[in-house]
Amino acid sequence: MTTRLFYDLAGLALFAVVIVLGVPALMGFDAFELNTFARYLALAIVALALALSWGGAGLLNLGQAATFGMGSYAMAMHLKLKASGDALPDFMGWNNVSELPLIWVPFHSLAFTLIAGLLVPAFIGGLIAIFMFRARIAGVFVAIITLAFLVAFQLVVIEQQGITGGQNGLTGLAPLELPGWSVDTYSLSFYYLAAGCLMLAITLGLYITHSKFGLILRAIREDADRTRFFGYNVANYQTAIFCISAALAGWAGMLYTLVLEFASPTYMSVSFSLAIVIWCAVGGRDSVLAAAVGAILVNLLEGKLSDIYVEGWNLMLGVTFVLVVMFMPRGLHGLLGDLTNLFRRGAGKRRGNRSAPTQTAKTGQEL
Amino acid sequence: MSHLQVTDLRVDFGGLRAVDGLTFGVKKGEILCLLGPNGAGKSTTLDLICGKTQPTGGSVRFEDVEISRMFEFERARRGVGRKFQVPSVYKELTVAENLAVAQSRKPGIWHALTRLSHSGRDRFEPILEKVGLEKRADVVAGNLSHGETQWLEIAMLIAQDSRLILMDEPTAGMTIQETARTAEIFRTLSKSHTLIVVEHDMSFVRTVADRIIVMNRGALLAEGSITEIEANEDVKTAYLGH
Repeated sequence: MTTRLFYDLAGLALFAVVIVLGVPALMGFDAFELNTFARYLALAIVALALALSWGGAGLLNLGQAATFGMGSYAMAMHLKLKASGDALPDFMGWNNVSELPLIWVPFHSLAFTLIAGLLVPAFIGGLIAIFMFRARIAGVFVAIITLAFLVAFQLVVIEQQGITGGQNGLTGLAPLELPGWSVDTYSLSFYYLAAGCLMLAITLGLYITHSKFGLILRAIREDADRTRFFGYNVANYQTAIFCISAALAGWAGMLYTLVLEFASPTYMSVSFSLAIVIWCAVGGRDSVLAAAVGAILVNLLEGKLSDIYVEGWNLMLGVTFVLVVMFMPRGLHGLLGDLTNLFRRGAGKRRGNRSAPTQTAKTGQEL
Repeated sequence: MSHLQVTDLRVDFGGLRAVDGLTFGVKKGEILCLLGPNGAGKSTTLDLICGKTQPTGGSVRFEDVEISRMFEFERARRGVGRKFQVPSVYKELTVAENLAVAQSRKPGIWHALTRLSHSGRDRFEPILEKVGLEKRADVVAGNLSHGETQWLEIAMLIAQDSRLILMDEPTAGMTIQETARTAEIFRTLSKSHTLIVVEHDMSFVRTVADRIIVMNRGALLAEGSITEIEANEDVKTAYLGH
C-alpha cells in the first residue's frame, strides 16, 4: 500500500465517522436539519464528479450542471408519473398536450429511471467528449464547449414546456417508493440513504484515482502528447472519465430531486455549474474526498450566511473563489498538505533526523 | 529483410522541404546512427517514423506493415518507441509512476481500470538498478537532477520495451562517465531491440554505431561504417562547407 492510498483511506474513514455519526448527533436528529444536510451530501457527489475530470484529468467541464439536471429530471419524471396516477401530469394539460409523450412512458418503471438517470448523462457526456477529444481539443476550449452545451441544453429544456414543464420545472412529486420503503425525505433513514450514496461515490472515485486508469489520466493531464507515444489512446481515456463523471453527476441529480421534491431548470443554469467549480476549487480538485468536503463546507456556509446577507452572499462566494485561486490554488486539501510538510520539516529539524528531508519530499506529493 | 524500411520519404513545411526523398533500411538488432549538420532533417526523420509529423509522401514500413498513415499511439502499440531531445518525463509523477505509465504493453482502458496504479512495481526494480535509480523510486520526477532525469527517461524506454527505439541526442548534457554507461546500456539493448540514434558526440557514435547514415538538406548523403564515413569527401564538404 502506498502512503497516498493510506492517507486517502484514513481520510475516508474519518469522513465516514463524521457524516454517519457526528452530523446526525450534532443536528440532534432533527428531521428538517438532516434534510438540509442531505442536500449538501447530494451536491458533494456532483462536486467529486467534477474533481474526477478536472483534477484527475485536467478537463474543466463547465457543463457538469447539464448532466446533473438530466439525472434530476429523470427522477422527477418518475415521481411525477407516480403522483399523477392514471391521469396525465397536470402541466401537460396546461400546455395542450393531450397524450403522454413517448419519452415519458418508460419512466413508469423505477428500474428504468435509475438506469436512465445514470446512462443518459453518461451517453450525452460521452458524445460531446468523443467529438472534442477525437479532435484533440484541450485546455480552455473544453471549458468553452461544455459551457456552450450547458446554455443550449438549458434553453431546450425551458422551451419544451409540454414535456419538461418549462420554467416551472416538475413540481408536485410523489414520494419515492422503494420495495418495502416509502421514502420520507425528512427522516434519519433518508439521510443515511444520501450518506450511503456519497460514501459509495467517494469510494468509487478513490478507486479510480488509485487505479492505473487514474495514473494514465494524470500522465495525460501533464503531457498528452508524450502519453500518446507510449501507445495510449488519449481520446478514449478522456472520453471514459467524462462518461464516468457525467454518470456520477446524474446520480447526484437524482438524489437532489428526492431531497428538494422538485426539479427545476435552474439546476442546469450557468451559475449552478460555476458553483460546482467553486466547491471543487475550495476543497481541492486533486482529491475526490476534498472536493466533497469543499461542497459540504461552502453549502453549509451558504446556508448560514445567505439568510443574513441575502444580497451579499453571491459577492462573498465570488471573493472567496478569487482568494482561493490566488492564495491556495490546490484548495484546502493542498493547504493541509503544505502545513503537514511544514510541521514535519520542523519536527525533523528539532530531532536532527537526517532522513526527514527525503521523507518530506515524498509526502509533498503523496498528500 | 529490414526491420524498418523507409522509402522515398518526403515532408514539406510550407515551402521548405525538410526531408526530401529519403530511403534507408534498418536491420533487426542494429544500431543505426543518423548524422548530419544542423537542419539536415534528422529529428524530422524520427518525427516522421514515430508519427509526430505526417509525411507528404513516401512510405514507412515497420515489420512489413505500412505505418506512415497511422496515429502515433497506434505506431507505439506496434512497437515504435521515441525518446525526445528535451527530457520528457512526467514531472508531477514519481519515478515509479513514470515507469508504470511507460510500461504500456496493454494500453487499453479496461486493463487500466482493473489494476492499481502501483501494480507491477517489482518488475521495475531491475530496470531502476540498471540505470542507478533504485533508491529514488518514490521521488517526484520534478525533483530529480538533470542527469537522473535522463536516466529515468532511458529506464522508461526499457520499460516500454519497444522493438524499435528512436533516440534524439540521448547523451546531451551527460558527463563522460554517464555517456560511457549509456553506450553500455545501448549495446545491451541492441540484443533485443533495433535502435536509431541521432547524435553529435562522435566518440559515442564510434562506440555504439553498427552503421551510420549522414543526411544533408533532407536527403541521404552517405551510408556506411564509421571508417567509411570519416573518409568520405562529400561528408567533409557538407560539414565544413568547402
